Amino acid sequence: MKADVQEIYKIKTTEKESLLKWYHLLKLGRSLDDKAPNYLRQAIGWSYHAPAAGHDAIQLAIGQVFDQEHDHLFPYYRDLQTCLSAGLTATEIILNGISKDTDVAGGGRHMSNHFAKPEINIHNVSSCTGNHTLHAVGIARAIKTYEAKGVAISSQGESSVSEGYVYEAINGASNEKLPVIFVFQDNGYGISVPKKDQTANRKVAKNFEGMKNLRIIYCNGKDVFDSMNAMAEAKKHAEENQTPVIVHANCVRIHSHSNSDRHDLYRDKAELNYVQEYDPIAKFRRLLVRYNRATEEELDAIDAEVKAEVKVAHKAGLAAPSPDPESIHDFVIAPSYVPQKFPDGTHNEEGEPKKLIEALNGTLKEEFRRNPHTYIWGQDMANKDKGGIFNVSKGLQQEFGHKRVFNAPIAEDFIMGTANGMARYNKDIRIVVEGAEFADYFWPAMEQFVETTHEYWRTKGQYSPNITVRLASGGYIGGGLYHSQNIEGALSTFPGVRIVYPSYADDAAGLLRTSMRSEGMTVFMEPKALYNAPKAATPIPEEFEVPFGKARIRREGTDLTIVTYGNTTHMCVEAADKLAKEGAGNIEVIDLRSIVPLDTDTVLESIKKTSKVLIVHEDKVFAGFGGEVAATISDLGFEYLDAPVKRVGSTFTPVGFNRILEAAVLPNTDKIEVAARELLSF
Amino acid sequence: MKKIGLFYSFHSVKTKQQAQKIIAALGAENIEEVNVEEADEATFKKYSNYILAVPTWFDGELPNYWDEFLPAVEDGSLKGKTFALYGGGDQKGYAENFVDGLGIMADFIEARAGKVIGFTSTEGYEFEGSKAARGDQFVGLALDIENQAALTGERIEAWTEQLKKEFK
Ligand SMILES: Cc1cc2nc3c(=O)[nH]c(=O)nc-3n(C[C@H](O)[C@H](O)[C@H](O)COP(=O)(O)O)c2cc1C
Ligand SMILES: Cc1ncc(C[n+]2csc(CCOP(=O)(O)OP(=O)(O)O)c2C)c(N)n1
Repeated sequence: MKADVQEIYKIKTTEKESLLKWYHLLKLGRSLDDKAPNYLRQAIGWSYHAPAAGHDAIQLAIGQVFDQEHDHLFPYYRDLQTCLSAGLTATEIILNGISKDTDVAGGGRHMSNHFAKPEINIHNVSSCTGNHTLHAVGIARAIKTYEAKGVAISSQGESSVSEGYVYEAINGASNEKLPVIFVFQDNGYGISVPKKDQTANRKVAKNFEGMKNLRIIYCNGKDVFDSMNAMAEAKKHAEENQTPVIVHANCVRIHSHSNSDRHDLYRDKAELNYVQEYDPIAKFRRLLVRYNRATEEELDAIDAEVKAEVKVAHKAGLAAPSPDPESIHDFVIAPSYVPQKFPDGTHNEEGEPKKLIEALNGTLKEEFRRNPHTYIWGQDMANKDKGGIFNVSKGLQQEFGHKRVFNAPIAEDFIMGTANGMARYNKDIRIVVEGAEFADYFWPAMEQFVETTHEYWRTKGQYSPNITVRLASGGYIGGGLYHSQNIEGALSTFPGVRIVYPSYADDAAGLLRTSMRSEGMTVFMEPKALYNAPKAATPIPEEFEVPFGKARIRREGTDLTIVTYGNTTHMCVEAADKLAKEGAGNIEVIDLRSIVPLDTDTVLESIKKTSKVLIVHEDKVFAGFGGEVAATISDLGFEYLDAPVKRVGSTFTPVGFNRILEAAVLPNTDKIEVAARELLSF
Repeated sequence: MKKIGLFYSFHSVKTKQQAQKIIAALGAENIEEVNVEEADEATFKKYSNYILAVPTWFDGELPNYWDEFLPAVEDGSLKGKTFALYGGGDQKGYAENFVDGLGIMADFIEARAGKVIGFTSTEGYEFEGSKAARGDQFVGLALDIENQAALTGERIEAWTEQLKKEFK
């Protein structure tokens, strides 16, 4: 289907120079694409290869409209030709294919055929199909916010449009009116699955026809001119109107999905034959010759040139260094802010205690004043006098405006994913998101959470998502199964994120400040039961800061160490005070404050003194974070122990709504006291 | 009746068989067959009456051979020329774009002042969308081998009878 757009590019009128440049690029891309399987056959690499053949025309066009200086491109794993056309060199394609240390995407850390060059705004994207649509939307939000030139371009196959987050992305772009182009390269299959099994419309772009502010352009992705015209129009439209465009490009997949697929198992001979016949490059060459725009000799000369170029690139690729195994620990997470005024995160401030909620609200405002590139969004973030479901963000929108403080749709993955997108725009940007209204609702954002933990490592330090994810966590409010969860243990299995969980107002202020000044992602757990609790209120020195990975001894003691964080810190202190009063023992209570990184030193130092340890947290004992603490202690501190490591936490059940059930599930001061007594008398 | 230029792809299978049936019905002496894949502007200009065979491919696209030929004639006028269109389509498999190719070609011709004849009724077909449909008529003859092969013979018969009257 020919695009219904202005025909700027035509076989008879387009400058010969462009035509030959395109032919050269197409042949170079195809030649690399055809050569990729050889590397696997020879056990050199490129063990994942999804051929671009049949998508060549639309891919050429995406790359040709892409402006390295102002645009941002999010290609997918089939976009070899796109990336070449957008500015990668043949050598860079091979370096990625065979995973060399000098691979510009990220030094061989990411899978082959995941081409990228963050330096020129060709972003390094996930293998998780289509999740970069959210990043494109996020960066388009930055382009619009900063009133900058340029568009974001996201590219993917038609089948992966089925992913829910793609709908979230396009809905968001339509609602916020963002300059982003979503290209769907339609080859009729998601691996072996025909597109009829994905969605009812043959052309999935049709599913979006009801969305406002959204232009949809259908084009023939096998035709160079139609693809060029469609992409040129899409870019012009997105830039001029500051609104999104979908380009639905009809392609053919000439080969199998990838080297691990065998398409002859599900495509008949006729089909295997006609996809070859519809090779976009062959068509382009026929046109060039038929309309006397190039002679066979000229084109043969380009073919020969390409052959020589690929040879040179191949040699350079083979000679490039491989990554060093020692380097795996580099770039796991970007540097955190190092507190200057309060290097160990303690203070002697006296005076009026402030509630935890005031601490958060005040710190947010202070940091927003300090850095004009700070943004916050989430559900129920701001509407007149209401600021956040718990009013943590009260007054922020009034002071900092709708561009910096705004509501998000009820789409947690969108909240998280657009943060990961917008943060790419410049290094000064700091984003705070209320990841979900309750930590319990963060699960829909998990794929973007995981994605965000990978960015810094995967790009070998080229991109760090500078994001603080705030989550109102925990129970004790009679909230039942979906307003009581603690998810820090589950999140802690992912390298690439810091997780903090304060118990008192001062630590909340200090940790939030440090999070917002740091590079990389920090999950900031807020014990919502303590927002307004007098016991969590403390005096807070001005500009208080707390370093990551530094526990705080909340009560000194000699007979037993309790390691805890969050809601249970207060219960542990209470139990310890009670036992001390009774003369049963003097307990040291360590508030970890940071879970990742974990302050092992403070814990071990304490155990050296007490020889006994109890680990307490609100989350379930089974597979809770305490298990990691216990294992670390038995690994590094076994010799100091005179008693088994004990744990107190929730039962391995959901949290019941009825207060009787809730109390039975969650830990409390009595349960802690019982366990502490047992250990003291061991 | 002047000689009709029947343009189709000599490589096609179904379309070619249909072309042969049409030739038989109209009389070989009235027809000159031209392979679209090799046609140039001069060959095309020779005629004033045409039958163009335009099956639909890839969810509503013209086959490559038409795409590649049309630039040859896109800048000229087709004034005074008369065209009849036929082409294959699959109303079940591609219900959203049933015989779109006929519609795309009709639009191309009319945009250059050519005349399209040989419209047929959409009755007897079931589809969701078609660029070839104008009201209850197709802008040419839709042949559906995939779902209604048995009707092809009589459809061609009726259509060629109609063309005998409509072509001058
Ligand atoms: C890949 C493919 C796509 C097709 N797309 C359409 C379409 O969009 N609309 C339609 O009516 N028929 C479509 N068809 C059906 C053909 O038009 C039909 O089979 C026709 O008879 C083909 O004629 P030919 O083989 O002579 O080219 C498609 C067939 C194939 C193989
Ligand atoms: C979230 C996710 N689910 C499944 C996969 C496995 N997978 C890889 S490619 C693919 C098919 C995608 O098809 P499409 O979007 O049409 O793109 P194409 O490969 O056809 O170009 C699937 C299911 C994945 N990578 N990510």
